[in-house]
Amino acid sequence: MGLRNRASLLDLMGHVQAKLIQLPSLRGMKEVGMRLLSPRRRAPGIYVRSKLNALPANPRRGSRQQFELSIGRVPLRLQMSDRQLFIAASERYSAFSDSTARPVRIRLNEGAPRESVLPEFGYEFEGAVLSAFANEIRFDGVENQYALDSMIRVFLTWKLLSHSGFLLHAATVMRSGKAYIFMGRSGAGKSTVASLSPEGSVLTDEISLLRRENSVWRAYGTPFWGEFRAAGSNTSAPVAGVFRLLQATENRVEALRPVAILRALLPNVLFFSAEAAANRRLLDILSEAAEEVPGYNLAFRKNRSFWEVLPP
Amino acid sequence: MSTRPSVSWQKNPALAWREIDHETVIISPNDSVMHELNEAGSFLWKNIDGKKSAAELAQLLAENYEVSADIALSDTEALLEEMSARKLVMTIPVAGGARS
Repeated sequence: MGLRNRASLLDLMGHVQAKLIQLPSLRGMKEVGMRLLSPRRRAPGIYVRSKLNALPANPRRGSRQQFELSIGRVPLRLQMSDRQLFIAASERYSAFSDSTARPVRIRLNEGAPRESVLPEFGYEFEGAVLSAFANEIRFDGVENQYALDSMIRVFLTWKLLSHSGFLLHAATVMRSGKAYIFMGRSGAGKSTVASLSPEGSVLTDEISLLRRENSVWRAYGTPFWGEFRAAGSNTSAPVAGVFRLLQATENRVEALRPVAILRALLPNVLFFSAEAAANRRLLDILSEAAEEVPGYNLAFRKNRSFWEVLPP
Repeated sequence: MSTRPSVSWQKNPALAWREIDHETVIISPNDSVMHELNEAGSFLWKNIDGKKSAAELAQLLAENYEVSADIALSDTEALLEEMSARKLVMTIPVAGGARS
């Protein structure tokens, strides 16, 4: 660090005194997650019939049933004894059913684990408790599919750390084989963008999943949808760019430098661990994304014309 | 308020941070707040190692940036105060010294 900075004295004073900029918007990071975890009313017609590799149905409560699914190529096997929850959940995630050799096994509502062992990651929300142990994942107190949905989201945010991935409060739209990620808080225009996009091109209008695979960032569809409502699409595409939505009277894109991309990503990231090591890993992943994925501010009018200003 | 020369400064171990574009982004996981340091602030941050005092940090700043020793010290102390108020850094007494 022998580099001699040529900044004048005044510049330097300005620099050092400008030093810290607190972004109060990030205070919402946890609340974003919390709000997303609120139960939603079920909209009729979202769920489709399940054709999953479930074990033979057994009406007797007490025998364990399971189904396997994959979200963002994270394979999960959900095991539960509650038949009603099983049916609801297997319908809910039917588009994401998958069977792989080594899924993460998640046991639902099987009672408290041994008290002497601390989980690697734990989270509690409205009576539902997630405990991630080295060789076992448990969701307890899960009374309905909404609680299960919340637990799966929280679990994924943690699990994706080991896959260079993260969940983002954003809509993902496919165009010419690439994924365009539109991020913003509620009201920023995610659902508007989704509704202005061709049918079948929207991977999610609420929670996007990004992960780095073979040096390429890909976006995956998720079963987590907002206003747009659909069963979700279990497909993926390389990321064309991340766009921070700003509503305006004209369409305009402005390229962001990596630190600004990181600044735009952070308030929209779903994350539920307060542990330092987990947050360091998250920050590493997000910084890598900010350095490798093009990012933009997108001021847009609420009509289709915004596509014309997007980079190819 | 002036920083006591007999204390050294360390980073709060509960934080996550990363340098990007010559700036430093610090996350404080407990309250989900992001803090940012500009280039000069990042230079100081990198040198906060649990051993150096404010005076030593200021000296490094003066050696690497065109700034007088006086101003380097007052800016360094101001930054440490600010970061201390945000619980990003903390002081540790030098060995054998009394706790302030």
